[in-house]
Amino acid sequence: MKRKKQLKTFLLMVIALIIAAFFLIPLFWMVSTSFKSDFEAIGGGTNWLPKEFTTDNYIYTLTNASMSAPVIKWMFNSLFVGLVGTTIIVSIDAMAAYGLARLDVPFKKVLLPIFVSTLMIPWVITFLPLYMQFNNLGLLNTYAPLILPYSANAFGVFLLYQFFKSFPKELEEAARIDGANKWQIFTKVVLPSARPLMATLAIFSFMTIYNDFLWPLVATSSPEMRTITTGIAIMQQGSFVSSYGRLMALTTIATIPIIIIFLIGQKQFIKGVTQTGIK
Amino acid sequence: MNEEKKSSFASTLPYERDDKKVSAMNERKKSSFTSFLFVLPYLTMFILFLAIPLFYGIFISLHDWNLISPNRPFVGLANYMEIFNSNSTAHELFFSGLWNTFQFVLYSVPLLVVIGLGLAMLVNSLPEKIRFLFRTAYFIPYSISVSVVAILWLWMLDTNSGLVNQTLIKLGLDSIPWLTKIPFAWVSIVIATLWWTIGFNMIIFINALNEVPEEMYEAADIDGASSWERFLHITLPTIRPVMLFVLITSTIASFNIYGQPYLMTRGGPGDSTEVLLMGIVEQAFELRQLGSASAMAVLMSLIIVGISLIQLKVTNRPEKEAKE
Repeated sequence: MKRKKQLKTFLLMVIALIIAAFFLIPLFWMVSTSFKSDFEAIGGGTNWLPKEFTTDNYIYTLTNASMSAPVIKWMFNSLFVGLVGTTIIVSIDAMAAYGLARLDVPFKKVLLPIFVSTLMIPWVITFLPLYMQFNNLGLLNTYAPLILPYSANAFGVFLLYQFFKSFPKELEEAARIDGANKWQIFTKVVLPSARPLMATLAIFSFMTIYNDFLWPLVATSSPEMRTITTGIAIMQQGSFVSSYGRLMALTTIATIPIIIIFLIGQKQFIKGVTQTGIK
Repeated sequence: MNEEKKSSFASTLPYERDDKKVSAMNERKKSSFTSFLFVLPYLTMFILFLAIPLFYGIFISLHDWNLISPNRPFVGLANYMEIFNSNSTAHELFFSGLWNTFQFVLYSVPLLVVIGLGLAMLVNSLPEKIRFLFRTAYFIPYSISVSVVAILWLWMLDTNSGLVNQTLIKLGLDSIPWLTKIPFAWVSIVIATLWWTIGFNMIIFINALNEVPEEMYEAADIDGASSWERFLHITLPTIRPVMLFVLITSTIASFNIYGQPYLMTRGGPGDSTEVLLMGIVEQAFELRQLGSASAMAVLMSLIIVGISLIQLKVTNRPEKEAKE
């Protein structure tokens, strides 16, 4: 009986390893190709490690002589809009969620259902009018469209609302008796305990903004305002087409920060995913 | 309690009563104003970037709205009629795009749900110490952007030098035109999508499986149920709401497909993988017909909401019947 169980576990491990290979080999191949010359990459073959190890692809993409691909600027843009956007989302969502859950906000019985029901609205309906709005204001090709629209999403408000709703009232009451006003109670008493959930929201928001594709693609057109995700797509369709050594160097550069953030924040992120599932 | 005290106090001092009432009202007004300030920043963003676009989008769809011409006359439902008029470009873009999108939804969603659940069960059946490693390995691609995913798989599946075909040749097999022939183009797009997003569904299923009460399995064991019976009669019914959630979110996500065909096949071969969102973008930014493109976007949204509601209804019915 024990033998049989051991054999079963062994078989499951083998299957799990084969599947892990499916997920990890493309990533390994990406990094491996990025250190091969274009000649070696296009030549094909299945050599896992470069025959002739070269960092030319990285040097070329990071110091691109033709200036059509300001990769460092793209990375800066992505990290910048990701950080600023995330800060805005976490701040305003926490404030709104606390107000709706605990304070005497006028019309709050109407506001919350309105916010939550917009989670059902398909994103596609707002993307062309948003383009027109930023176009009318002359704000295309600035950071504004790359940051602001994400902050309208009600997901964070909904997530934090549930937490604040169940926050013990006694703690707030004690602070109120000590003479603290609403803002002080919010920042000193309530927010510290919401930190893990805010971290979850932060990771979600950062990844959404950093990885978004179609919106930044239409909201920007000048080369230096691209994000890294849209920039590499432009290069793939432009001067880097079929230059897979260089493309893989670009995708590796684009992927490193987000994988690091993902691995660090994995626990919070998974918590967030399961929260969305409970809904 | 407090209120009562106040009113009895007030009634003994008739002159101060009105003042007190007014100041209490002012206090309340002031309080609800400061409370409103908490909601104001989000509400502003909500109105500017969600509520206004929503109505503005419908407004644009009712106009002959050319992207570069300032003259944008109201045309009523003409843009919608044009989509249903079989001789127009809008009709061709919309319905061919819709059909291709439907195909992708049909190919991808069942796999996303079933394999997502399969991976969750596999990870859960591994020794506890190493679960974390495999869960992470399967979930990592989810953190990557669609452009990286598409370009990476474009390279993996390259007909001449890609790793997949090179491996097939080494094994003495024929290479496959992954990106240039149907059905392989769809297979490639589905593989890239599964690789990218299935970890998300797996995580949700792992959580759902862990919430199935252990006693239910123990009871089944006593009854001598096989593991297939356990799965069918305990696991599936318990995780049903989560399954529905995964089904709906996967369907919506698949409906919104854009990056994979845009970068991997560019809609080809021919226009066989040109999905609806590509058609809308083409109509808006290449043909500059923003009015017509907005009408297409409104219809696409209605279809997405409609399908979600149908799935919600159909999948909920047996449960209700059982209750009744």
